[in-house]
Amino acid sequence: MSESSRSANQQNGVRGRGGDSEEEDDEEEMLLGGPSATQEDDDEDPAQRRQIRHQYRELINCVQQNREDMLNPSNNKLTEVLVEANKLFANVRQAREAALDAQFLVLATDLGKEKANQLHADGSAFDPSAFAEHLLSFMGLNRLEEDDGMEDAAGGGYLPEDAWLRLAHRAGSCFRKAPTFHFMLGSFLAEPPPPRQRVERQRKAPSKEVKRIMPTQLKKMEESQQEATEKEVERILGFLQSYHNENPELPISYYEFVIDPQSFSRTVENIFHISFLIRDGLAKIYLDQNKLPCIAPVPREEAEATSSSSRQQCVISINQSSWREIIEAFDITAAMISSSAPTESASSQ
Amino acid sequence: MSQRRVSHSQSRPSASRQVIEDDEEDLSFTLPSSSQVQRGMDRLTSAEVDRKVAEVVQFILIKDQKKVPIKRADIIKNVIKENRNIYPEIMKKVNMTFEKVFGLKLVEIDVKNHAFILVNNLEQVTDRLASMNPAHPKTGLLFVILSVIFMKGGAVKEAVVWNTLKKLRVDPGERHEEFGDVKKLLTDEFVRQKYLEYARIPHTDPPEHEFRWGLRAESEVSKTRLLEFVAQLHEKEPQNWPKQYKEATTSDARSSQAS
Repeated sequence: MSESSRSANQQNGVRGRGGDSEEEDDEEEMLLGGPSATQEDDDEDPAQRRQIRHQYRELINCVQQNREDMLNPSNNKLTEVLVEANKLFANVRQAREAALDAQFLVLATDLGKEKANQLHADGSAFDPSAFAEHLLSFMGLNRLEEDDGMEDAAGGGYLPEDAWLRLAHRAGSCFRKAPTFHFMLGSFLAEPPPPRQRVERQRKAPSKEVKRIMPTQLKKMEESQQEATEKEVERILGFLQSYHNENPELPISYYEFVIDPQSFSRTVENIFHISFLIRDGLAKIYLDQNKLPCIAPVPREEAEATSSSSRQQCVISINQSSWREIIEAFDITAAMISSSAPTESASSQ
Repeated sequence: MSQRRVSHSQSRPSASRQVIEDDEEDLSFTLPSSSQVQRGMDRLTSAEVDRKVAEVVQFILIKDQKKVPIKRADIIKNVIKENRNIYPEIMKKVNMTFEKVFGLKLVEIDVKNHAFILVNNLEQVTDRLASMNPAHPKTGLLFVILSVIFMKGGAVKEAVVWNTLKKLRVDPGERHEEFGDVKKLLTDEFVRQKYLEYARIPHTDPPEHEFRWGLRAESEVSKTRLLEFVAQLHEKEPQNWPKQYKEATTSDARSSQAS
């Protein structure tokens, strides 16, 4: 409690006694029927509220009595009473007390304004806006072009490009700034550029490059790759048709057909290529009596007749261990689709 | 993939250990006694000591490029290393080198946290042609802010600073051509460099902040010169602001005594 409010309490002994009841938090009866008392804030002690109101009134009274003292620029009384009010406000829970706080604030603001005005009269006051105007003149503000610069939110005139540098040159004499050390020719920076920036640059640069090369180079690659796939698909279809023609009645086991017991990767390639045949309707997969998948070629006329929408899709998976299991289960010794590598190398030579 | 994960998890504990070491470095460092220093000096040749001194000087010069105060812990950890037993002797020679060779002065601005800055020890020239320092626009900005703070008695609400800057066509909400993100420049860069202090005003809700002079500004900026320039802008004499004039003369007398 500040001195001012303590002395105020002594002046008014009757109300001052209210301070003793501060600890009586258990008193829960609502003695006062003010509008705010009907609110459901049950934990609020009416005595304490009375106490707070009393202290506010004392504070306001004290400020009004000592108005001249408050305005004296040589002391900090106004700040002190504001701090005091702040302390009081910590315990304010309801509107009635808050209204008193607001009343006090209005008073304090008024005093503050008056105090500020008084400072002005001294001639030693410092006005940042006036300072800014002087700075603008120093920085070479061109006020003649006010008409053109209307869109400038900050007001008329425009600043020359070197405005801040001009100010910096003059202001530099106020700073005892040590010149910074620079590398000759700026060959390298003292530390690596911030990592975030570097990541951005790395990401941007290659993507640009790729975009530039893509049209010429990638087209070619796509073509050749597509050609190779097409050739291989055709080749496998040839195998399938020849096996089928050998004995049209004998179903061809899908697994026996695709598995290459010597190479897992060839097996995967075969499955991949056959998927094209299935997609185009040139081959079909069905389950035999033992629920094992079988494959058979479809005549071209028939394949073209069936619409693609009537076809179904499924996904199969194979890994090294299942590949070995199948080899064992079907007792596969040789690939039904012979590797294309020798023929390819033969044709290229 | 799994390998990378392993190495990553291995690197993490060591990084955190590094951080702990950094903290401990300064806490554990106590100035060696004069007899310890004497013994340490006896063990080294003067060429070895000079070499260390040169290394510290170079380290500080390069660190100073960013104008962020240099910590004693960093000097010890990165340069002095095992010669920490003769730290006082090295720093004495470093100070001398800065003063006699470079015309600079190494100032410990934060005695508690042991942070150093370099200030120019030579008489500053006002003539822009004779000035050796290439000026940077940021100096101008800093001058404006420091002036407002000084003229307003040492602390100003940030709103005052922003309003003043707005009048000078620098809007904290917009990107400035020369200063970039002005709000960040003031509240982050200038604060890290210790030109400014930016702190919440107690008992304010919603929080309000105020600017004050930072420790670097206190030792780098001449209040007399600053007031002279402010007065010149107003076409008045520095004595027009008696309170500021008094503070400027006493503070500059104090710093010239110290140097």
